[in-house]
Amino acid sequence: MRFEDELLAYLPRLRRFAHALARNATDADDLLQASVERAILKRDQWEPGTRLDSWMYRLMRNLWIDTVRVETRRGETFVPPEAGERVGATGGQEMAVELGKVVQAMRTLPPEQREAVALVMIEGFAYKEAAAILDIPMGTLTSRLVRGREALMARLGEAT
Amino acid sequence: MTIDPETLMAYADGELDPVAAKRVEKAIGADPALAAQVERHRKLTASLRAAFEPVAAAPVPSSIEAMLSESAKVVPLAPKPVRRERSFWMGAVAASLVAGILAGPLVFPRDPGGIAMRDGTTIASGEVAKALATQLASAQAPDAPVRVGVTFRDGAQRWCRTFESGTTGGIACAQGNDWRIERLYGGMSRQERDYRQAGSATAAMMADAQAMMAGDALDAATERAARDAGWR
Repeated sequence: MRFEDELLAYLPRLRRFAHALARNATDADDLLQASVERAILKRDQWEPGTRLDSWMYRLMRNLWIDTVRVETRRGETFVPPEAGERVGATGGQEMAVELGKVVQAMRTLPPEQREAVALVMIEGFAYKEAAAILDIPMGTLTSRLVRGREALMARLGEAT
Repeated sequence: MTIDPETLMAYADGELDPVAAKRVEKAIGADPALAAQVERHRKLTASLRAAFEPVAAAPVPSSIEAMLSESAKVVPLAPKPVRRERSFWMGAVAASLVAGILAGPLVFPRDPGGIAMRDGTTIASGEVAKALATQLASAQAPDAPVRVGVTFRDGAQRWCRTFESGTTGGIACAQGNDWRIERLYGGMSRQERDYRQAGSATAAMMADAQAMMAGDALDAATERAARDAGWR
């Protein structure tokens, strides 16, 4: 399968990951777009035969971390996410998304916990795979994951 | 016995090896609070997946899709993609060599005994396909030609099963009407009905299956239900 075709098939999943990471839907779709752009530019760095999806998740996550760092410097991290925003406003395909409590709770997590939770719990990666994507040891991954989950449970209470 | 939070979480996610999982199960049996905590972990995973599912189900903004289709037209296909099945086979052989488990012959794609190639992918056929589709690990004849091991869902939510046939073992995942062979292992030594003496090839297969699992391996009841639902 061609690089573009394979990537195309991963777009819905990558978009879900972007929405789990970013603080609102607009930023999420910007992140997806920027990731696809960079993937096209850097396609030669992907080794055929290795997993393109893991490569893309890593690429997107690294782009996102860069923006998080910039925002942190500007002191913008704690801007509350707007409720009732719209997803997919570009291209005429609009879908109103009511931001559930779960999504809101996700956005309150520190970035290093949010990415671990998103990869394992939402994207379904094994611990080993998630640790490889994030380039951290397994032990670091599990401790971030456990703290992220405890924070989510505390926030969502018995509602989960 | 105390179970630390990381271990309990890993258990809830199906990330523990069978021995460690057994130990946690024992502790859970003795402490309802632990059982409740496992339940909370799984519920949280389910609600996170449900919350973000609409994003994956919605159409991707057409501007982003357009970038890819434009790129497919414009960018010269300089690094010719390696043909998939080739890289798969080379990988499988290399992995067996590295692990030092090439003790028996690998079954190659053209072998008529249960593995076939179609449209560039390797799929189960014959007895192997039949066993994967119908056989329950919990109710196998001792002399069944193909034995099914664990059944689980992978990260892509496909049903996957491990199997052994003669000296060959493998992991196959249901896709459409086929069972796609994800991994193959040579040198399975089937010690008659005694799986406790399984060799390193079996151990490698189980470790790979463990790594692919998105949740727990199925128990007998859920395995039956999944089969009866036609592996959908």
